[in-house]
Amino acid sequence: MAMAAARRALLAHLRVPVARPLAAEAAAAGTVPAARRLLSSTTEDTKGSFLDKDEVADRVVSVVKNFQKVEPSKVTHTAHFQKDLGLDSLDTVEVVMAFEEEFGFEIPDNEAEKIDSIKTAVNFIASHPQAK
Amino acid sequence: MAAAAAAPTRAEVLSLFRSFLRTAKQFSDYNIREYTRRRAADAFRENRALADSPAANAAFAEGKKQLEVAKRQAVVYSLYAPKAKNVMELKVQ
Repeated sequence: MAMAAARRALLAHLRVPVARPLAAEAAAAGTVPAARRLLSSTTEDTKGSFLDKDEVADRVVSVVKNFQKVEPSKVTHTAHFQKDLGLDSLDTVEVVMAFEEEFGFEIPDNEAEKIDSIKTAVNFIASHPQAK
Repeated sequence: MAAAAAAPTRAEVLSLFRSFLRTAKQFSDYNIREYTRRRAADAFRENRALADSPAANAAFAEGKKQLEVAKRQAVVYSLYAPKAKNVMELKVQ
């Protein structure tokens, strides 16, 4: 009896170290980083972060280059939509909509009106916290 | 009445055009989404010479009416969204 009790006590004691790392591992791998990720994504969504200006410029240029009516070779970092690229005001509206799609946020009317060149677009998007 | 008779300003027209494009984006069906965008762009180009005339007013009023139609249709079409993507929407491998 004493032997069985001792064995049971021993086994119970031995089982603990096996179970503990598993639980700790699960906690480390699953819940904690998930919670951290959730936390960081909420703060990113609500507060936002500014994009790097060079990256914004490259993406803006590639969006404009993909625009149907634009000659890709004419697109530079300083190009003006109407003077250099030959776009009209309706095209400009379409290009600004394409920026919205690329960067995943909505540009209000009064801001969209001011965007008339690659430079103004880059400046606006780089200073907008919700641009992705 | 005086306000209704005044021709739409440039900003108003561009804002209407932008609303069309935003509404067009809501269609889940590729064909209808692209058609709405294309149709709006074509109609605004067609009427671009109408500056400051009664015809511009009529076109602007018609545009606002059509925008309401498009908005209603976007809701209707959202209830019957296609189950598969259009081949044009697939990314080229």
